[in-house]
Amino acid sequence: MADENDRFETLPDGGQQHSTPMVDEITDFEVLEIALRELAIEKGLFTAEEHRRYTEFVEQLGPAPGARLVAKAWRDPDFKQLARQDAIAACREIGVDWLQPTGFGTPSDFTSLQVLEDTPTLHHVIVCTLCSCYPRPILGNSPEWYRTPNYRRRMVRWPRQVLAEFGLYLPEEVEIRVEDSNSKHRFLVLPLQPPGTEDWTEQQLAEIVTRDCMIGVALPKPGVTSNGDRPVHPAIHPAENY
Amino acid sequence: MPDDRDVSNVRVQTLERIAAHGQVWSQLASKYGVGNPVPPWKSSLDAMCDALDREGITLPLLIRRHDEDRLSDQVYKAVPFPESQLLALAHSLIARNVIDEAALADRMELVRPRLESR
Repeated sequence: MADENDRFETLPDGGQQHSTPMVDEITDFEVLEIALRELAIEKGLFTAEEHRRYTEFVEQLGPAPGARLVAKAWRDPDFKQLARQDAIAACREIGVDWLQPTGFGTPSDFTSLQVLEDTPTLHHVIVCTLCSCYPRPILGNSPEWYRTPNYRRRMVRWPRQVLAEFGLYLPEEVEIRVEDSNSKHRFLVLPLQPPGTEDWTEQQLAEIVTRDCMIGVALPKPGVTSNGDRPVHPAIHPAENY
Repeated sequence: MPDDRDVSNVRVQTLERIAAHGQVWSQLASKYGVGNPVPPWKSSLDAMCDALDREGITLPLLIRRHDEDRLSDQVYKAVPFPESQLLALAHSLIARNVIDEAALADRMELVRPRLESR
């Protein structure tokens, strides 16, 4: 069945050919991005080659490596032990080298990584109060809400309330520990494996380990394979309390 | 090394005009039935930020991000992300005298016909 967004072009012989929807407009923002980049390169702030390599790096990022790490840790106690003791080494086993994530280094990602294991009485959640430090090599780019001063400031003060805003209501007996990331320390939450998934394959398990589960604002749940929509709240005077 | 002064009081009319025009991705994607959640230039913008972070002197990461927080909240409040991120980066570089506003406007005049040529 055709998707409502599918389009068809009429061919000279009267037949129809499927065409993928595309934005057929040049936007001011597209023009601005190119103009700014060209001037930055001409000023020597970075080279066109550096920019190309960073673009390739950014485009291959995503949360799949993190999900694989969590699923493997659930299935393999030895790997879980490694992940807790030496997360950088565990990442290498799933094909991500934090020391050379791009093949030529990214200082903002060159860092130590710690895997935070949840228990029935302890839940972790990550934040970067200063800016938006995030374990990009295994989680991809941070979501918009993670970057907002509202999330950053309120999560460390009222974690239970903010988690509830994400739809995550934790019992009072579960302690919430908020870990603050920075340029040298990044974190990944290893949530509890949900009941009823004990005989699942690693691939099946990885599908329910969403980005939000590894940030700590959601729990893995059979049948849930994508992140929920998150409202982005504006902050009041966000830059005044740094 | 730039300081962390507040650049939100610096007016950049070229960017204000772009913000007012409102050609944001969320609306265009909806208009054309495109499902991609971010505009095609987003990865290039992220790469620019990474490259600047690596260079580390012209616009250090924390200053860039603090500027973005302030500008997104105070100057480009009506503009959604990631358009606000792009405007904030351009605003920072102009307000901190790295990129000249007139040169940017001139370059935009050159870039658009290139993109529109057939």
